[in-house]
Amino acid sequence: MNVLLQIWAGYARLTRRWPGIAAIIPFIPVLALWTAVSEAGLFPRAFFPGPADVIRAFFTLTYKGILPDYLQDSLIRLATGAAVGMALGIPLGILIGTSRWAHRICWPVLLFFQAIGDIAWLPILLIWFGFGLTTMTFVIVYTVLFPVVLNTVLGVESVPRDLSRAALSLGASRARVLWEVTLPGALPNIITGLRNGLGYGWRALIAVEMIVGTSGIGFMMFDARRAGSTVEIILGMIILGLLWYIVDAWILAPLERATGQRWGLVTS
Amino acid sequence: MKTLSLRNLGKTYFDPYAGAHVTAVHDVSLDVEPGEFISVVGPSGCGKTTILNMIAGFIPYSKGDILLDGKPVHGPGPERGVVFQSFALFPWKTVLDNVGFGPKMRGVPKAERDRIAHEYLALAGLSHAAHRYPNELSGGMQQRVGVVRALANNPDVLLMDEPFASVDAQTRMTLQEELTRIWQERKPTVIFITHDVPEAVFLANRVVVLSKGRVLDQVAIDLPRPRVWDDLVRDDQFKQLSARVLQMVRAA
Repeated sequence: MNVLLQIWAGYARLTRRWPGIAAIIPFIPVLALWTAVSEAGLFPRAFFPGPADVIRAFFTLTYKGILPDYLQDSLIRLATGAAVGMALGIPLGILIGTSRWAHRICWPVLLFFQAIGDIAWLPILLIWFGFGLTTMTFVIVYTVLFPVVLNTVLGVESVPRDLSRAALSLGASRARVLWEVTLPGALPNIITGLRNGLGYGWRALIAVEMIVGTSGIGFMMFDARRAGSTVEIILGMIILGLLWYIVDAWILAPLERATGQRWGLVTS
Repeated sequence: MKTLSLRNLGKTYFDPYAGAHVTAVHDVSLDVEPGEFISVVGPSGCGKTTILNMIAGFIPYSKGDILLDGKPVHGPGPERGVVFQSFALFPWKTVLDNVGFGPKMRGVPKAERDRIAHEYLALAGLSHAAHRYPNELSGGMQQRVGVVRALANNPDVLLMDEPFASVDAQTRMTLQEELTRIWQERKPTVIFITHDVPEAVFLANRVVVLSKGRVLDQVAIDLPRPRVWDDLVRDDQFKQLSARVLQMVRAA
């Protein structure tokens, strides 16, 4: 028992010193299991490659320049889609959150279209726009839009009424109240919406790239299937997970904390 | 400084749960002179907060008039400053920027509104907290910020809606003493809503007792100033006035 406690204490000290380690350590058993299964020779190598094969594929593809190019394509698509989704979603959410009439009119429509999943749009999008960037962007924007709109509405409605009243009594116009009170008050929720939206968007992007893509991580994985290259497929899967972890844990979550907790709007 | 007049003010609204029209304020007439400190007391549901919300312009009134220097007022405006029970400080702004918010809305340049904000923060003994955020302050300090934020905008009337109801008893007494001190220095016109009778008597020149949406009675409070609790708790005149007002409120 004592030994376990000491190990635990050592781990706690270590992760407090280097928080990054806390994110890596849980993967050691996963990696070990993977290595064990692949080395045991239960499945043919071509069918179930080990970590070493995947790492080798990573270096080969990076060296050839395929991986950096595809990664860049995917990220640019996601960023474009997210930017457009926010540009549409935040104003729409503020409109619905502040105007009872807009809420009545838009809300049912919004829920209806939310139910039609992003991928369900693909058949008709392919007829309208063909296999190309427009189709992909449409799907990403569509996926990012709903979490951003719904969370923005939630954020706007959660701003205490007394705050807008205080601003009005201090001489603010309705437009100033929007800018000085409603928007900052809703910001933590907007970032939560963006965080969810990007998460969904990232997954949708990979699916779309598999179907309509000519480049990108999703395309790489689907193309590898044609060549029967399990190594590249698994590499793609790992990249998806890693990249999302970096974006979420290093950028979005700190951003969310920075707004909500600093202002005491969110109790951590 | 302007005179505030309420003329036969009334508020009726439709209560969808009761399915009927409810009259919160029947018929209230009141004149508040410039520089006067009025406390409005009454039991729950007597309409005191409704009256304050109508004067502030947060809710429309159903009948009568609210006149500021003879001109009717509608909607919120900077000439009527409000101090909220919930403090209503902007959590994303520093204390300095909260206090400078009113001047900012008037278009006062940054340097000048910082100077104004610092001046008012000093008035409330808050200079050290200028660059902190509201959630880092105690409730009592937050409400000090709430009071000087309203004052820094130089309103003709300061409306206070049970501002000290959500701070602890000791802090409340300190805040009451500070408010009388600030009032003596600046002489703003104040309408102070409370259900705490000693508080109403301690602060005001005149206590208005409300009952069921009407003015039941008014009591002039001519206690000498400056007022401090250590003296007034033993003061016979204070005790008599408090007892008299309390009797009215309980009978109301």
